[in-house]
Amino acid sequence: MAKRRGEVAASYAVDANSGVGEAAFSRGPARLLTADGDRHDGRQLHECRLNFLKTGAVSSAAGSAYAEIGQTKVIVSVFGPRESHKAEAFSGIGRLNCNVQYASFATSVRGKANQGAEEKEFPVLLHKALEGAVMLHTFPKTTVDIFALILQSGGGDLPAVISCASMALADAGIAMYDLVSAVSTGYVGKEVLLDTTLEEEKCSDGEMMVTFMASRNEITQLKITGQWPDATMREALSVSLDACAKLANVMRECLKEELAGVDEDE
Amino acid sequence: MTITGGIAEADAASATMEVEAYKRLYPLQFYERHLDSDVRPDGRPLTRARPTSVNLGSIATADGSALVKIGNTTMLAGVKLEVITPSTASPNQGQVAVDFQMPSICSPLVRPGRPAEAAWVVSEQLSNALVSSNFVNLQQLCIVPGKAAWIAYVDVYCLDADGSLLDAALLAAVAALTHLQLPAVKVTETGRVVPLKNHNGDAGQEVDSIAKKNEDQIVKSRQRLERSSMPIALTCVSHRKHLLADPSAEEESILQMSLTVIMDTSGRLISFYKPGGAVAATSATVKDCIELTKKRVAEVNSIFEEAYEEACGTEMMVE
Repeated sequence: MAKRRGEVAASYAVDANSGVGEAAFSRGPARLLTADGDRHDGRQLHECRLNFLKTGAVSSAAGSAYAEIGQTKVIVSVFGPRESHKAEAFSGIGRLNCNVQYASFATSVRGKANQGAEEKEFPVLLHKALEGAVMLHTFPKTTVDIFALILQSGGGDLPAVISCASMALADAGIAMYDLVSAVSTGYVGKEVLLDTTLEEEKCSDGEMMVTFMASRNEITQLKITGQWPDATMREALSVSLDACAKLANVMRECLKEELAGVDEDE
Repeated sequence: MTITGGIAEADAASATMEVEAYKRLYPLQFYERHLDSDVRPDGRPLTRARPTSVNLGSIATADGSALVKIGNTTMLAGVKLEVITPSTASPNQGQVAVDFQMPSICSPLVRPGRPAEAAWVVSEQLSNALVSSNFVNLQQLCIVPGKAAWIAYVDVYCLDADGSLLDAALLAAVAALTHLQLPAVKVTETGRVVPLKNHNGDAGQEVDSIAKKNEDQIVKSRQRLERSSMPIALTCVSHRKHLLADPSAEEESILQMSLTVIMDTSGRLISFYKPGGAVAATSATVKDCIELTKKRVAEVNSIFEEAYEEACGTEMMVE
């Protein structure tokens, strides 16, 4: 096994990326937008990608969900509430334990994501995004485990994981104040691009990720990187919140449908 | 109370107890009573496998991929290609590296950071089965003898573990390799392997034009792997005189003796695996297992052909 991991990715793997590489060198809206001002996948600037959501993907988990947002595919399982890990200190309220993993074939170069900071950063961000939404006092002294596997990375991986995880929590019957929906937004030049794809993420001047509880109108997490002009940032935030609210509706519908299906079966 | 000592007690209890409680308290007796009337708790006859489905090309970032479901057991396999220098011992062969992963999403028993014991066993079995069945013609993976060859990393992820893991994992790995397409590449004078950009029909033309222009450049066109007879596994568990095909996780944990037979579509026996256990298998059991596997191979093969036709059939007609 050690030999396999250690082997240098040879020329093919590097060259396969050259399309993305070229785009990254020439920054600016020209690369990302067509002459009509549309994006390469045919979307308008403030349009979300198509999504597909489904709960109950993993039979052995207490709750689970699968989400496909554009080219991004993630699966999340929730286990528990169950006994906390022995090494953990005593806690009067419940705990969330998060883990996010990339499948080795999820990225264009094999296994590259596994070595990056993302694997370490994602669980922390996922935890912080959901902490405020879950009623931790309803399962004192125990742990709810949230495990995510990213099957295909197509941009906006973490927002997809967060939305999917909140659906999996709902599927597991964990009490929450509200569903958490998330979306990432980038900007290039003066344009705000909602729900960025992998290529857009690489070329954008700034990135913003919002996780939002729509019914309560509360933001659980806001992460901004890059230099944002004030006006652009305000625009991006309002567009993102709107998109989150819409995604939350889709998520709620999906959960309701699933429940209706269960009733019919019985 | 030992299990055997409890039989009389269990029988007495069964008259008054709810089914669910009886199942929890006396799992073995619960199963035995089902088996004696030739049916399993999920309604299957003893020798029938769970519904099986194969879906090719589910992951766009992989060079070949397949999603396989056998009952609740779900496996996702992806193949990624990289260029390596072939070993001096076999300069005209590429390599296939198989890995099996059980991420913590698949079962409540697997915790992050600690790979499940079952994962090692399945990984080893899987890679042995693929190597010994000669499913992949390694010479086809060669680009320039002695200089460059493909290595195909086959990574199988278990998304949902509900018994008969090796059966599903092997089917997923084989399906992903069948779906794999070696990309069109050219080899430059400096010995670098460069992919030809156009992905679809145009690649063929480009290959032709480059071949004409520049005779000393080596160009390989886009191609699928040659298809040979594929290995298919069937796990059985045996209890007393009963033999159950394709057990679920619950059945595997309660009925101790399991046997896994791997045969290929041309009827060759690839592997036979019986991992110890308290009960010794009789030669009759072994024969029965092989018979069941033969039937299962035919069944899986037709399911697979259907999936292959659906995913790749149109492409072939275009070519």
